[in-house]
Amino acid sequence: MIKFQNVKKRYNDVHALEDVNLEIRQGEFISLVGMSGAGKSTLLKLIIGEEKIDGGRILIDDIDISKIGKGDLPYLRRKIGMVFQDIKLLPKRTAFENVAFAMEVCGHKKEKIAGDVPKILDLVGLLHKRDHFPHQMSGGEKQRVAIARALAHRPVLLLADEPTGNLDEINSDEVLDLLLKINQLGTTVMLATHAADLVNKVKKRVITLEGGKITKEQKEGKYQL
Amino acid sequence: MESMSFFRIIKTGFVNFWRNLWLSAAATMVMTITLVIFAVLFLMFALTSYSIKTIQNTVDISAYFKVGLDESQIMKIKNDLQNDPRIKQIVYTSQQQAFDEFKARHANDPLIQESLNELTENPLPATLNIKTYKLEDYPGVAQELEGANYKDFISKVNFEDNRVVIDRLGKILRFIITFGAALVAVFSIIAILVIFNTITLTIYNRKEEVEIMRLVGATNWYIRGPFLTESLLYAIGSTVITSLLFIPIFTQVLPKITAYVNPQLNVFHTNLFNYWFLVLMLFVVALLLAVISTLLAIGKYLKI
Repeated sequence: MIKFQNVKKRYNDVHALEDVNLEIRQGEFISLVGMSGAGKSTLLKLIIGEEKIDGGRILIDDIDISKIGKGDLPYLRRKIGMVFQDIKLLPKRTAFENVAFAMEVCGHKKEKIAGDVPKILDLVGLLHKRDHFPHQMSGGEKQRVAIARALAHRPVLLLADEPTGNLDEINSDEVLDLLLKINQLGTTVMLATHAADLVNKVKKRVITLEGGKITKEQKEGKYQL
Repeated sequence: MESMSFFRIIKTGFVNFWRNLWLSAAATMVMTITLVIFAVLFLMFALTSYSIKTIQNTVDISAYFKVGLDESQIMKIKNDLQNDPRIKQIVYTSQQQAFDEFKARHANDPLIQESLNELTENPLPATLNIKTYKLEDYPGVAQELEGANYKDFISKVNFEDNRVVIDRLGKILRFIITFGAALVAVFSIIAILVIFNTITLTIYNRKEEVEIMRLVGATNWYIRGPFLTESLLYAIGSTVITSLLFIPIFTQVLPKITAYVNPQLNVFHTNLFNYWFLVLMLFVVALLLAVISTLLAIGKYLKI
């Protein structure tokens, strides 16, 4: 599904990624671990075309994403959902409206939005909070709304960049359970984190990044640096 | 799907305009000032060039023939002059015509009518009314008519030299063009800067929203569209205000000025002073200012 071939990324003199080779298959759940600055976020940003590579190739379904024009990037992003540590919900919109927003900007009709959003909120277990504003929800709930928003386009791949970074253990577990559930429903999930206990619970493929290089790959691994 | 997006872009543009109402009002006002200056200069320019044309048309030479001169002789002179490449038009008024016209002109004056009836001989001379192609040819032609060739036939040459007035108007016109262009340029730059700042602030206010839009796959034009819509509203607003301000000028002031310059013309029947033409021109100028400044702001601050 996604192939990294000798991918390089530099920020001025800093080598954020060096010769990264990686293959992600459909339906996988991958934990991307490493210390801060190891290149986890950079790797995710390259997949959604937020950053450009300085060498090598990234193929998504055999399409070289460095050859995708600016005008077509939005269509790539509709196939990939993304959630962040800082959640990025719109504070003046309710849970329902935040999810609906993702569908609105892509031109979906009102009726479709009214039909789909409750289903997605139900999937993340927050239908009962559909009219709550972000400040009326817990951190875990907010992150689940963000995941719901990322799922609005029924993406084939969900990228989660430190989604539990600001959450306590209970809330983190909730988010992790949700990601696993989404993965079971067929969406490929890539979780970048440095929360060891979280990775240990998942017991799926683990990729360790260090100084911009992949230093370890485990099929059903644990958090190891 | 496309029409839905279009509707949402327009709606968001209106919402942006409304949420930053004071900023929007300031941007619209600066644009209005620019348009007013532009409109005033345009009208001054149109009026001056129109006056020059009107005055140019009034310049001519009248050659008065000696009374009792044979008409065939006058015709010969007329034919001679017609061969002159400088001369555009010659109108002949015979003694009888001159008399009839004079009589008709004073039809309501019984004293003149009575005196005319007393006359045994027509005292009014035959005339040739001459117009040249070029303004600068008038003195030459007038001099020739006064010269030896025609001395025996022509009693008087009347040449009203309006060239000084025309020259002065020409200078005013050139001043309006240079001074006006500079003024319009300065205010255009001010308007562009103010709109640029307003749009930049709107972009800044909606930073979060724009970032999320990008991440969830909104197209570039879906993100840019509302900012362009917002500036389009400034353009429409300022065009409407300026157009309204100019209604009294078109209905009250301009007819008086043109009536003064040329009483035969009605201001609303000349293309030069067509109100809707001015409105259209103002809108085009406003649109250009709005689009330029918004594209600059988007290019600089809206990362897609």
